[in-house]
Amino acid sequence: MSFPRAVAFLWWASLRNRARKQLQRMRQPKYLVGLVVGGAYLYMMVVRRMSFSRSVEALPPGARSLAELSLGGMLMLTLAAAWMLGQDRPSLAFSETEVQQLFSAPISRRGLLHYKLARGVVGAGVTSVFTTLFIGRAVTPHVGLFFLGSVLAFVTVNLHVTAASFVRTRLARLGWPGTALRWAVFLGLFAAFCLAVYVAFQAHPFPKGTEGKRLAQEWLPTLLAHPSLQVALWPGRILVAPALAESVGTFLRILPLSLGLLAVHYLWVSVLIVPFEEVVVVRAEEAARQRGQRVSRIGHFVMRKPFFRLSSSGRPEVALLWKNLTAARRMAGPEVVLVLALLGLAVPLGVAVLAPDALTETRQVMAGLYLSFAGMLTVFGPVSMRSDLRLDLPKLDLLRALPLTGRQVVAAEVLAPGLLLAAMQLGLLLLAVGMVVGTPGNWGAELWVAGGLGLAPLLPALAIGGVFVQNAAVVLFPAWLPAEGERARGIEALGQRLLTLAGAVVVLMGGLLPAAIVASLVGFALYGWLGVWALPCAGLTAAAGLAVEVSLGVMALGRAFDRMDVSSEGLGAP
Amino acid sequence: MPSSEQTADAGPGAPVLEVVALEKTYGDLKAVQGLSFQVAPGEVLGLVGPNGAGKTSTLRCLAGILPVSSGKIAVAGHDVALEPVQAKRALAFLPDEPRLFEYLTVWEHLNFVARLYGVEGWEEKGRALLAEMELGSKEKALPGELSRGMKQKLSIACGFLHDPRLILLDEPLTGLDPIGIRRMKASLRQRAEQGAALVLSSHLLPLVEELCHRILVIAGGRAVALGTLAEIRAQLSGLEAGNASLEEIFVRITSAGGEARPEPPAP
Repeated sequence: MSFPRAVAFLWWASLRNRARKQLQRMRQPKYLVGLVVGGAYLYMMVVRRMSFSRSVEALPPGARSLAELSLGGMLMLTLAAAWMLGQDRPSLAFSETEVQQLFSAPISRRGLLHYKLARGVVGAGVTSVFTTLFIGRAVTPHVGLFFLGSVLAFVTVNLHVTAASFVRTRLARLGWPGTALRWAVFLGLFAAFCLAVYVAFQAHPFPKGTEGKRLAQEWLPTLLAHPSLQVALWPGRILVAPALAESVGTFLRILPLSLGLLAVHYLWVSVLIVPFEEVVVVRAEEAARQRGQRVSRIGHFVMRKPFFRLSSSGRPEVALLWKNLTAARRMAGPEVVLVLALLGLAVPLGVAVLAPDALTETRQVMAGLYLSFAGMLTVFGPVSMRSDLRLDLPKLDLLRALPLTGRQVVAAEVLAPGLLLAAMQLGLLLLAVGMVVGTPGNWGAELWVAGGLGLAPLLPALAIGGVFVQNAAVVLFPAWLPAEGERARGIEALGQRLLTLAGAVVVLMGGLLPAAIVASLVGFALYGWLGVWALPCAGLTAAAGLAVEVSLGVMALGRAFDRMDVSSEGLGAP
Repeated sequence: MPSSEQTADAGPGAPVLEVVALEKTYGDLKAVQGLSFQVAPGEVLGLVGPNGAGKTSTLRCLAGILPVSSGKIAVAGHDVALEPVQAKRALAFLPDEPRLFEYLTVWEHLNFVARLYGVEGWEEKGRALLAEMELGSKEKALPGELSRGMKQKLSIACGFLHDPRLILLDEPLTGLDPIGIRRMKASLRQRAEQGAALVLSSHLLPLVEELCHRILVIAGGRAVALGTLAEIRAQLSGLEAGNASLEEIFVRITSAGGEARPEPPAP
């Protein structure tokens, strides 16, 4: 079997197997329901808004020129970036599997290059579909021509980027003279471009005054028609010309030139090919390492000391808490939030020195900001602070081997992000109250302090409740979460995420309701006697209610964790 | 460190591991069927079988990671289903793929394990283990900075820190260099001599032959042979060479179907 036929077989088999696997997944309700929900969401949010029944009329000259300039300009920027940015080495990228399977096979370097270029054509086709959907329908009535033109443009640009990387590699071998030559040519071309733009603007300045409004619509086409800009923008124009063709006849007339440009680029790449194997292997290994980190749900982390020293005696679940707090400190640096909040104090201090009259308003604004951030942490904190069972998801079997009950595991896991969020919220509340106390206004210091004391137990309790809900999803519906090494993608994955989010909101609201009712009753009952000081009592009651609910939930979830069969749930299954 | 409670529950002569009619199913697939055996203190049991025979499932059930579908497992006298914490406190499970926390250093891993198992004087013990595993200079290294073999050694050090009475090993020598393999074999022997029971699953049959007192061969989730090498040889009818190696016996048992297999082993 020749290499091209082997590649064709590989792609066809991969496509067929992926489709088969997707269809097989539909037998599981979680994927089927996810597909229905995700499909409905996409239809409502994307497809319906695109309104396929409506056909776009041909654009007026001004708008068409603008579209041509924008699309051509973006492509020209990509071409320029290929010469300016990045390193002087081949830009080809292969996956680790491709390196292992293809580089050791009896395939020439040119064969590997052709394989990569063919992949580029497929990629250009996919990109063109989305470009046509989101841009093409807005700028031309001929979406079919736009798609074909886009494919041509993207393939040519891809070839140019590859060729540029080969040229840069060759120039880099010459040492500094090669680099100087590249920059001299590039800067020379850039200067010529700027000169052309300047000359055109001199000839056709932007119209001013009331008359200018009418002339402005005709200005851009006139400017772009200037000979100097015709030359300067030629690369971008010729690339987008097939996509913006106004008729099949125009498209066919432009086609030979576009195909010729593509052929020249192909020849360029073929002639200047340089050894790329070494660079590709290093790049593939780096990509595999980064993928491994994603699979392990860890990002970049910085070595910082743990929050506290862990002694060998005491409750064993504290070890898990310590581990997760350490992970959070090294991965997210939660204290950064407090440092930023403290840096915010520089604003009123600066105002106090430079504009003392505005200090009161500044303090009130800053208090509002601190309060808002504390509130926002209640909503977004549990989602973003993931040093709990979500972080340990690939290692659930390891947790199961520890000498801990399920309740101990769940409690320790939930508490780690919960404690960090609580500390951040209390710090922000303290800053908010401290900032505003003593300032004149409708709300006196008493109300601020009472309100702050009310929120002090409530916001952390809410945040811990949110963390609990997120962890409950891991224990109760582990199969809804992607297994180790699996990338959740596709419409069904989108639907699953939407359902998980909706479920979390419903559970949190359901849990909050009884606590809110009891807290309101307590607050109203005490208001007559205590006035605003009923707020801390109400806040404390609500927090206590939530704490009881979360405690009961942790106990139930612990039992579920003990019963959980990691083998049948798709996590760590043999 | 074994607690007095554990010592009281399982007397000196009592088996550290007792498995009775263990079954594990995944949906319609029966991974393990009717497995019964015991491992005494100081004994090393080799678990061998072809790929997909159910070895890893068995080990994961023994470690309390997977709930059994039916049957009973007792570790140091504690039923894994009823007293999982006490049972897990007495064992260490060392999987073939070291499972480490990417954000904890080598030393912090030992610290973490020490708290989990309440190991007094863990620092001294930890240093000795790191020296034994040639990780003394890597205390502050993160797992990402370690080679595959070093990660395996760290995993083993964590497993040994609390002096487990039962050590479950799944392909323990994967990734180790020749010197590491030699040290590990000596270390396992030493722990067995000190009274720990070991269950060692491996495809390296010479290793199993060298280290294990008894061998359990499983195929298709069932025990097809259990005993010392000599006992298994004796059970096999028609095997001419009285000195047949474990490899020959393994091939004979697992590839010949039912007729060449010995009688199902007694627990």
